[in-house]
Amino acid sequence: MRRTARLLTGTAGLTGLTGAALAVATAGLLAAPPAYAVESRGPSAGSLEVYPSSVAPGSQVTVNTDACGDDDTAAGDASAVGAGRFTLAPSTHERDAIGQFQVPPGAQPGRYEIVATCAGSGRRMAGDLLVTLTPEAQLVHPRGSVKTGVGGALGTDPVQTAAGVTALAVAAAGGTWLLHRRARGDGI
Amino acid sequence: MTRRRFRRAGGPGNAVTAAVTVAALCAGTWLLSDGTGAHPPPQPSAAQAHTGAGDRSAVGSPAPALPPSPPVRVRIPAIDVDAPLTGLGLTSTGSLDVPPADDENLAGWYEAGTTPGERGTAIVAGHVDNADGPAVFYALGALRKGSTVEVDRRDGGVAVFTVDAVEVYDAAAFPDRKVYGAAARPELRVITCGGGWSPTTGYRGNVVVYAHLTGSR
Repeated sequence: MRRTARLLTGTAGLTGLTGAALAVATAGLLAAPPAYAVESRGPSAGSLEVYPSSVAPGSQVTVNTDACGDDDTAAGDASAVGAGRFTLAPSTHERDAIGQFQVPPGAQPGRYEIVATCAGSGRRMAGDLLVTLTPEAQLVHPRGSVKTGVGGALGTDPVQTAAGVTALAVAAAGGTWLLHRRARGDGI
Repeated sequence: MTRRRFRRAGGPGNAVTAAVTVAALCAGTWLLSDGTGAHPPPQPSAAQAHTGAGDRSAVGSPAPALPPSPPVRVRIPAIDVDAPLTGLGLTSTGSLDVPPADDENLAGWYEAGTTPGERGTAIVAGHVDNADGPAVFYALGALRKGSTVEVDRRDGGVAVFTVDAVEVYDAAAFPDRKVYGAAARPELRVITCGGGWSPTTGYRGNVVVYAHLTGSR
C-alpha cells in the first residue's frame, strides 16, 4: 500500500481523530495513521507491498509482490535506506514473491523507495518505506482482556419475576380456596 | 354465591379451579426459577477454535486489502447484530477501552489501529451485557466459522469478513499477540466478555472472533 507519500495530508487527517488516538498519534506525527480523507488505492496488481510501511531503524521489513508470476523470483533493492539488496522468493501464498530486509539501526527518518525487479520478466516495481523514530505510534496494540460486561444478562428479569410472583399468588389463592371447600366438605 | 352453585354442581367448578391452581403453580415456579436463574451468554465450542496453521484460509479466500477508511457500522446477520461503531482508545493500563455501557446497541473500534478492510488487524469490541440485560454482542459466542461480519465504512464501501474461528480466553491468559498483533492480510477481531461469570470477579475473560476480509462492495 502506498500511502506514506502523503505525510502532510495524513497529519491533517489526524485532526479528525479523538482522545487516546490523538494522544498516541501525536507521539509521532511522522508515523501518522492512514490519512482517511485522502484517496488511497489498495495494492493494485503489480505493486510492491512494503510491510510494515512505517518502521523504526533496525526493524525487519517484509516486501511482497504478485507481479512476477508463479515461481518467479525478484531482485529487491533497499539500498535507498541503506539495507542493500535482497531476494524475493516465490511463496506458497497465492502468487506472491516475498523477501525481507533489515533497516540499518543508523537509518535516518524519512521516506525511502524500495524497488524490486522480476527475474523473469524484468518488470520493475516500487513501494514506499517510512522510517520514523517512533514507529509504534501507528501500531500500539492494546493489551489484555476487555471489560465488556457486568453480568446484567445473568441477573433477575424484573418482569418475569413479577409474572412468576403473580402466578404463584393465583395458585395460592386457588389452593386455599380448594382446601377451604374441602374442609367444609363441599364435595371435593 | 358461586359456592352454592358449585356445591350443587359438584366437580366441574372444583376441577377448573384445581386446574388453574396447578397451572399457576407450575407457571409461577418456572417463571421464578428461570427469571432469577442464570442466563449466561452463549460460549463458543471447541469446534469453533483455530484448528492449526492450515485453517487460516480454509474458510473463504482472502480479498485484496482496501484503502484505509474508518468504520461506521458493524453487522453480523447470523446473530442479528446491526450496530453503530464509536472510536475506542486505550485505558491507562494499556487495555482496550470499551464503549459507553448504557447504550446496549453500540460497539466500538480501536481507532488508533488498523481500519477494517485495510491490511492488518482491525479490532472491534462491544458489551455482552450491561446492568439492564443483554447488549450488542450478547450472542457473539454463538457465531460459527464461516459466518459473515460486515463493516460499513465512511468511504461508503462495505468490508465483508468471514469468521475463521471463535475462541474464549481467561483474562489471566489473554493471548495479546494472537488477538491484537499485526497481520499480513486484512483481518478483524470482534471481542466481548465471556468465559463464565461469578459475582466476585464478573466475567472471567473474553470471547474473540477471528475473521479475515473475503470481499467488499
